[in-house]
Amino acid sequence: MSKNHSFTFITRSAPYGNNRPHLCLDTALAASVFEQQVNYVFMEDGVYQLLKHQDADSINSKTLGSALETLDLYGIKNVYVFANSMKERNLYLEDLVISAKLISNGELKTILSDSNTVFNL
Amino acid sequence: MSILHTVSQSPKSKLLESCLNAISDGDAILFIEDGVYYCHREYLLEKVPDAVTCFGLREDLMARGLQIDEGSSIESVGYRKFVQLCTKYDKVVSWF
Repeated sequence: MSKNHSFTFITRSAPYGNNRPHLCLDTALAASVFEQQVNYVFMEDGVYQLLKHQDADSINSKTLGSALETLDLYGIKNVYVFANSMKERNLYLEDLVISAKLISNGELKTILSDSNTVFNL
Repeated sequence: MSILHTVSQSPKSKLLESCLNAISDGDAILFIEDGVYYCHREYLLEKVPDAVTCFGLREDLMARGLQIDEGSSIESVGYRKFVQLCTKYDKVVSWF
């Protein structure tokens, strides 16, 4: 695989209803370890993964909000949240556990068309 | 015959809309699992009639980083109250 291969991961599920968010994160971190260009996009209920003050001990799960802080440690800087999904849920950037860039439909289209591979979980 | 309705998917599922078609005055709704996202900033809850009591399961709220707003009509309950509600109402109907 070439060094310039770029991946976009779209995560669209709330953090604890199923394990898709964890799978998506693990796959993205693995891609990043192999020095691939990674974009990470939170969309629909996926934006709920970023809410502050999560504590999944109460439901015997791993807190996803804190796990997402590892995106930065793995060098994944291109973290996006889909603006419409935030608006629909009355969420603002200051509600989120990490800093992310709000993107519109148009920007999402550009990100996808510029990517070699898109994972949609 | 009063009913406790449980809603366990996020608002994207439109389960509350389905539930409201089947709800009567004196019934209650308990939001559990991803259903607790309905409690976030009273998302969509203006549609619930005043004669219907709303509850959110505390453990699921805490896990997801949600708080029930001050002065909200939704009451946060733990597992013990969950059991009490199941026995207090004549039936439990799950929306999932």
